Amino acid sequence: MKLLSTRTALVLIYSLLLVLGLVAFTVKYFNNASAWVQYPTNRHLYANGKLHSSGTIYDCSGSILMQMVDGTTEFNKDKTVRTAVMHATGDVNSNVATGAQAVFRDRLTGWDIINGAYRFNNKLSSRSDLTLTLDADLCATAYKELDGRRGTVGVYNYKTGEILCMVSTPSFDPENPPDVEANPEKYEGVYINRLFSSAYTPGSVFKLATAAAAIDHLNNVENNLYHCDGKLQIGGDMVTCPSAHGEVTIEQALANSCNTAFAQITLDLGADRLQKYADLAGFNSRLEVDGIKTAIGKVNVADVEGADLAWAGIGQYTNTANPLNFMAYMGAIANDGVRITPRILADQGIFSFITTSVEKKRVLSAETAEKLGKMMRNNTISTYGEGNFRGLELCAKTGTAEVGGGKQPHAWFAGYLDREDFPLAFVVIIENGGSGSRAAAPVAAKVLQAAVR
Amino acid sequence: MNDFLEIMKQLLEGYLTKFTDIFVNMENFPAPLEVASELYTLVVRWVFPILAAAIFLRCILPLLQNGKEKAVWGYLCMTDGTRTPLKNWENLIGRSKFSDIVINLPFVSRSHAVLTFHNGVWSIADLGSKGGVKVNGRKIEKQEIVDYGDTLSLSGVEMALAPADAEPPKGLLQKNDTVSTPPSGRHIRTGATLFLILIFLILGSIQICFSMGTQVNPAVPLTLLIFILAMCLHYIFMRWFSRKYFELELLCYFLCGLNLLIVASAAPNSLYKQLAAILTGIVVYTVIKMIIGNLGRAHKLKYFLMASALVLMILNLALGETYFGAKRWINLGFITFQPMEFVKIAFVLAGAATLDRLLTTRNMTAFIAFSGACIGTLVLIRDFGTAVVIFGTFIVIAFMQSGDLRTIALVTAGAVFGSTAVVSFMPYIASRFAAWGNVWDLANTSGYQQTRTMIAAASGGLLGVGGGNGYFKYIPAADTDLVFGMLSEEWGLLVALTVVLTIVFIAVYAVFLTKNSRSSFYAIAACGAASIFLIQTALNVLGSVDILPLTGITIPFVSNGGSSMIASWGLLALIKSADGRIRPE
Repeated sequence: MKLLSTRTALVLIYSLLLVLGLVAFTVKYFNNASAWVQYPTNRHLYANGKLHSSGTIYDCSGSILMQMVDGTTEFNKDKTVRTAVMHATGDVNSNVATGAQAVFRDRLTGWDIINGAYRFNNKLSSRSDLTLTLDADLCATAYKELDGRRGTVGVYNYKTGEILCMVSTPSFDPENPPDVEANPEKYEGVYINRLFSSAYTPGSVFKLATAAAAIDHLNNVENNLYHCDGKLQIGGDMVTCPSAHGEVTIEQALANSCNTAFAQITLDLGADRLQKYADLAGFNSRLEVDGIKTAIGKVNVADVEGADLAWAGIGQYTNTANPLNFMAYMGAIANDGVRITPRILADQGIFSFITTSVEKKRVLSAETAEKLGKMMRNNTISTYGEGNFRGLELCAKTGTAEVGGGKQPHAWFAGYLDREDFPLAFVVIIENGGSGSRAAAPVAAKVLQAAVR
Repeated sequence: MNDFLEIMKQLLEGYLTKFTDIFVNMENFPAPLEVASELYTLVVRWVFPILAAAIFLRCILPLLQNGKEKAVWGYLCMTDGTRTPLKNWENLIGRSKFSDIVINLPFVSRSHAVLTFHNGVWSIADLGSKGGVKVNGRKIEKQEIVDYGDTLSLSGVEMALAPADAEPPKGLLQKNDTVSTPPSGRHIRTGATLFLILIFLILGSIQICFSMGTQVNPAVPLTLLIFILAMCLHYIFMRWFSRKYFELELLCYFLCGLNLLIVASAAPNSLYKQLAAILTGIVVYTVIKMIIGNLGRAHKLKYFLMASALVLMILNLALGETYFGAKRWINLGFITFQPMEFVKIAFVLAGAATLDRLLTTRNMTAFIAFSGACIGTLVLIRDFGTAVVIFGTFIVIAFMQSGDLRTIALVTAGAVFGSTAVVSFMPYIASRFAAWGNVWDLANTSGYQQTRTMIAAASGGLLGVGGGNGYFKYIPAADTDLVFGMLSEEWGLLVALTVVLTIVFIAVYAVFLTKNSRSSFYAIAACGAASIFLIQTALNVLGSVDILPLTGITIPFVSNGGSSMIASWGLLALIKSADGRIRPE
């Protein structure tokens, strides 16, 4: 019988195969169940292919941004508000991949892996409602200030991570969706939330990453003088500057956005250090905003030298930046070098202390952040004009990113408020908007004044 | 770890908000019945997985302890004074470590002889050893009857056969004599386990009744009640009249109970039929166990079984009716049944009986021909799932008989080649293979059943939406071929997984039994039946969730279907017969 019992191994192999299959299914289940359950024939959630109920999405002050009444999706009463937050909520047909309606669909439809689609008393529980960190009125202000231009505005609290303002244009009124395909130019990339999902040439705002490297690695950099006569010959190539700035310190070079000085600084630093500080500033990696992944801004100067490297150090060459990620770098400078990952969900739940700790990462030393902050404050005082940003304690940097092809440059304005009561960092980008100080800075001023009101 | 915490968080939050919601929503209830129904489901959906896990664990633990209190049929007394108990009806004697009685002397052959106990008579057979076998000093040719007190000599190694009940002579050492060892480990009371099953079924049937609202089908409470009574009676019967363990039966009661709950939700009109099938199944189980308890009878039964199986197959081919693309049913006017379900039992018994004695006769031709006939018939009636089941089981039985891996590999390769040819010629089965792995692209055509199963499983979550509250039951074959989806949706993934693990466990248990089973017949029969359970479950569960191609096949005991239920109990009898262990008083 012993002999026979060794031959029963085949049955054990069958058992093992069945168990392995079961494990494979369980893994598949945990990864995909939330997608399976949303299949439109699922009568637990859908009737005739349409969701039959969904939780309500609120803004931080309790205004309804989106709700479902008797199987119909309704948005905020105010047309400007609902247009401004369209990318945050998502539209009726879930075209916006990063919209709350698509990203948090599990929660809005009351599904979770433990309870499945079970609903007590056939009603969604209050847990299905979402409160976003957004301030609907602030978003509306930003939308109005963008005034039909393509671009994005983001404002977030660099101590708590809450995103207060998130607007991306072009947008549309989700209650009356336009025929996007009939008007491709007007609605170019209308379903993309530019704050999360785009990557633009950064231009001069990138000098904030280069400057951080210079503060840490160049001896006595604050007292060094750089000569600018409007252009710098590197090998056979030329780096140009809008005007001849003469002898400038790094602080003046940042305030005047002097390309020549920063080209020299970049060459002094070398490719490796520039790459390291770009990576620290959040390039080449994505952030996750409550599970929403941002696009990646790229800086790759590993094998780059000469004029290309110099252009990379002043935010041109092949550099790209994701707006939200760059805004978080502004927050890191403001917050003594510690970057708090932005978030969009206000209610993390009663038991949030179990899982949600604010996600932090030190990207700069406290001294470096402080020195950089002082230079950014000086930018406002000496160049942008304190009078344009009265009371904001603004620390900022403009960017005018050349995009080539005969098009206007992208206008950038990014920075933060050095205020205890309003610890806000921001980014404003206007596509092909021209000069950063002329196009983007006034939008930021209006939005920030509204934010501190 | 983070995932775990996330789940814990959801769990706590979910329930806190639910409790506040209860009070908020209370005034919106239209009727007190609905209040009760909603509150009931809210609570019991947590109870079912806990009960299922408890029942499962309470049944597997004692079975895995694999009691050492095992019958001894005789002793071999060596010349050095040691006494070796003979625990099987077939004992291989030789030098090989796979022998039941190892004699590690160079002049003894690796597999020297087999000592067999058959119909109360011991006999010894020479397996072509070099040194030969002598009984009372006389060399034997092939096989010779041995009486108690006779002296056996294997290549000169002498030993004497003594009866089991003989008192050990004083001063003799007892070698490996564990007959009197008390059972080790914790004692788990089967009565309490039965009680847990009972609670599960009562709570479950109340849940189903609640889900029917004001129009409760009286069949639901009635059939569940009769089933519970029958289950208790059978249990008491076993306690009084059998000294065997009965955890195996308890697990099957549990599966049958779930079967009734599934049927109550999906097809309440078939409840009485299904109950009748379960009761018939228990009777069939008892009868088969009694018949094959006598080994001689079981061997004689072989030809009768093969003949009746052939008749059934011919009838199926001639009179079969086609549903869902397979010609599987025979309609006798008052009853419809699937003959191939019963052919399975005959198949396993015939396979087991082909081997007369351990390592002696290998007359496999008849069995191979019979297997060919079965698979041929199944292909003709387009029941490819069952064909795979029979083939997989054939491999197990053939390997246990011959131990010849090479031949088995050859046969498997041939079968794979053959089935590839079949698949390419049959568009119906080819389309299933085409859907395999990309069912979501074909969600409304050939991937319909699989996608709906996965949607249902996802909708149920780990705890299920509550028995009777699902929508999956309206999909064709939800309670048979796709029953895993229904289990997951209404009773939760945890219960569904427990069900599959229960069947895996029954099979693993059958393997454990073979170590101590009396005869190779029982060992092979048990493993054959276990293979059928395993392959059916694998094809059903993994097929319905697109891990394997979908085939129309049932989960033993769980799927709706009378023939399948009765056949499952019949196969269980084959596993149970291998259990030679005696329950302690």
